[in-house]
Amino acid sequence: MPLKIRLGNGEKGVLKTSDLYFIQKLLKTMRNPKTRFDSREFVEKGEDYLFNYVGKNVGGIDEGRRNFLKGIVIGVAAATVVGIIPGLRVLVPPVEQATGFPKSLLVDVSGNPLKASSIPVNSPIITLYEYPLTGEPNFLLNLGDKSGNPVSIAPIEVTVPQTGKTYKFPGGVGPNNSIVSYSAICQHLGCTPPYIHFYPPNYVGPSQLTAPEPDTLTAQALLAAKQANIPALIHCDCHGSTYDPYKGGAVLTGPTQRPLPSVILEYDSSTDYLYAIGAIGVATYPEGSDGVPSQDPTKDLDTSQYGSSVGSKTQVQASTNPFSGS
Amino acid sequence: MSLTKRVSNWFSERLGLNDLPFFKTPDYMYHVNEWLGALVAASFIYTVISGLILLLYYNAAAGYQSTETIINQVPYGSVVLYSHLYGSYAMIILAYVHMFRNYFVGAYKKPRELLWILGVLMLVLTLGASFLGYSLIGDALAVSAVDVGAGIITSIPQLSFLIPIIFGNYDTGDYTRVLALHIILVALIGLLFVFHFFLAEQYGMMPSRKVKPKAPAVYTKEEWSKFNPWWPRNFVYMSSLIFMTWGFILAIPNALAYLNGLPQYFNPFMNPKPAPPPNSPAAAHITTYPPWFFLFLYKIADFTSDVVVFLMIGVIIPLVYLIILPFIDRTDELHPLKRKVFTGIGILMITYLIQTSLWGDLAPGVEVSVKDQVIAYLIPAIIVALGLTFIKPMDVQTKQVRGISPLTSLLFVVVAMLFAGSVVELIDYPTLFTFAVTLFTGSLFFIGSKAMGKVVLNKGLPNNAVPEVRTTTETPTSNETKRKFAEVLMSILFILVVIIVAQMWTIPPTGYASNLFGVDLGLVFLMLGEVISLYHYVVYKKPIEKEE
Repeated sequence: MPLKIRLGNGEKGVLKTSDLYFIQKLLKTMRNPKTRFDSREFVEKGEDYLFNYVGKNVGGIDEGRRNFLKGIVIGVAAATVVGIIPGLRVLVPPVEQATGFPKSLLVDVSGNPLKASSIPVNSPIITLYEYPLTGEPNFLLNLGDKSGNPVSIAPIEVTVPQTGKTYKFPGGVGPNNSIVSYSAICQHLGCTPPYIHFYPPNYVGPSQLTAPEPDTLTAQALLAAKQANIPALIHCDCHGSTYDPYKGGAVLTGPTQRPLPSVILEYDSSTDYLYAIGAIGVATYPEGSDGVPSQDPTKDLDTSQYGSSVGSKTQVQASTNPFSGS
Repeated sequence: MSLTKRVSNWFSERLGLNDLPFFKTPDYMYHVNEWLGALVAASFIYTVISGLILLLYYNAAAGYQSTETIINQVPYGSVVLYSHLYGSYAMIILAYVHMFRNYFVGAYKKPRELLWILGVLMLVLTLGASFLGYSLIGDALAVSAVDVGAGIITSIPQLSFLIPIIFGNYDTGDYTRVLALHIILVALIGLLFVFHFFLAEQYGMMPSRKVKPKAPAVYTKEEWSKFNPWWPRNFVYMSSLIFMTWGFILAIPNALAYLNGLPQYFNPFMNPKPAPPPNSPAAAHITTYPPWFFLFLYKIADFTSDVVVFLMIGVIIPLVYLIILPFIDRTDELHPLKRKVFTGIGILMITYLIQTSLWGDLAPGVEVSVKDQVIAYLIPAIIVALGLTFIKPMDVQTKQVRGISPLTSLLFVVVAMLFAGSVVELIDYPTLFTFAVTLFTGSLFFIGSKAMGKVVLNKGLPNNAVPEVRTTTETPTSNETKRKFAEVLMSILFILVVIIVAQMWTIPPTGYASNLFGVDLGLVFLMLGEVISLYHYVVYKKPIEKEE
């Protein structure tokens, strides 16, 4: 019970309960013959003696003071927790929302810009680079005729069989207008190289019918190539989809219902460098119900969780020759 | 009874806080030298936590790339990554300090032999895990460090079977196995730590030599039972140490992240950032060096071309010595000057470790002739041998009452070396900057030597000539004023913490400014630790805490 005095109407606290209790305890200890308070020493040494005496015999500092200090410690600890909270963002993975296509210089494996004139014609080696997001491979092809001379690729209207709509493929670039680039993700069910890859003219023939996976060509694919009068093609070994690299990646045989989207390349003739600047065709990953593609290639950029923007450079890797085994 | 009291009683009853099986601690042991193990454990825990966060993002198949992603794109990723690196640095340094402290006080003696051996094994595992972690970055330095490590192993044909076991398909840039082993080694450390910890609790901390001058130095059950229980004083003291350790681990590397372009020989110690990737043109221009904690091995490799000899000098002999130490030094003497041979070896180990590491930093890969090796390694040995021969153990009575703590003397050594270094720099490059630095370190050195001088000179006097003037019964002075001061300080720190925390909410999670978050969080942890430490001082500290 706290000690209070009454003055007129108002009550005024003089001592808190804990203080009162403390004084009681202190007085009791001082009277105790075992721990008698030495008043002579107190006169000699002053308050130092008193504090020491209290610290030794009545258990240090009083409750109120201790609670105040505890409050500060808890306060600082709470503030620390509050300070850590924004740091918890470290647990939220960065989702890079690519809103547009970057202009990316194509570089070789050692980081030097790739020279367009150095790209071999009709190379059987799978040549890939990531664009516009990491984890999205694209073919880089320098197309030629049967005898290996580069072929100029003209702009052409490409039809999407699934929707019947068309879009304009801009044609080849480079010194001979023969360099084109297509997404290396099959539009049928998403197979990636080496299952889907480019077949140069010397591999487009009946001997490929019996070649081991992933180099098998179907009879339909061969027939379609003959009908379209093209020396080379892009074929996916998973389910047999075939695309025409000379005509904007258009569908030659099913089961795919969508052409391969193309990456728009820019050629700087003064430096011989190539830049990827955008894409055209259907979106890389079909959106909407039944996988009906959007005609807009930027459609899947902002929702894609598959990678981050490749930035201003993207590395071209030519590492796998699918035909080396056959 | 108030509500808070009831709540806290409920918890302490349910958790059995009053009779935890932990070592009860006498009053005089609340000093950091008795708690070095807690510091090591604190940095271990920090490193594990930050490592687990990094594990959420690290992609072993693309080591360098994902390191870059963590630094540049993950929110506060660089804060976590840099402090993870420095957490392991802190753990290595503190483990060495912890080990050598216990070496000199003779804590490896009966009954703590197993505790010591476990500790040595944990040091080895820590160095191994740190090396693997360092390789995970995948930068040019990591690759060259791994190449050197792998080269050492391959040059002993009998050991080359270890290469695929340790590095897996490392050649193809695949760090999957390195990552797995990194985690496995850390898990092993954790396992051994549990044993180490409970053995330490079993035997308790080393009592003061004044109380137990001979091995086995353990308190009896009766002595032990009157000491402070774990809850609450140990807990409070321990949390202050843990938070302060975390504070340093966070603040230092994130502040260093703002340094740019240090001289090459500072890089192994002070640069938290990764080097260029191994396949970039820039990689050809950098000087490669191992992580600093292996600089000594790197230098020893210059002494001999024989790998077996190199491994013997650098690894096997010191390691075997440390492991079998409890069985060689079998006397029950604990005073370092009563077992001079072992003290001497200990001093030499520290000297050689630091000396060789610095040498490896300043002159990496420069071959050393046998003559130079003898000069470099014989002189410290002669100084130590002479010094130990002539110093006699002091009697307890005549011991200086006001001594200096080991930490102060260590600090003084650092200051002295910095001063010497800056003088050399000043002579080499006499600019205003080096002059200012020299002036600064010089004044520190002056202050330090004044403080040290008293102690050193007094000790130089023959002990018998000092008459017994000082009465050992100190007049107890109250620490009431200090307590008042501590309370004011706590309030100020509280205000500071609130200000800093408010500022922390405005720091962007990525980019150049994001490391400020780490600096701030470090400062907040430091202040939290300090506030708890002050609380401990005010509430628990007794005016006299004599060794009992």
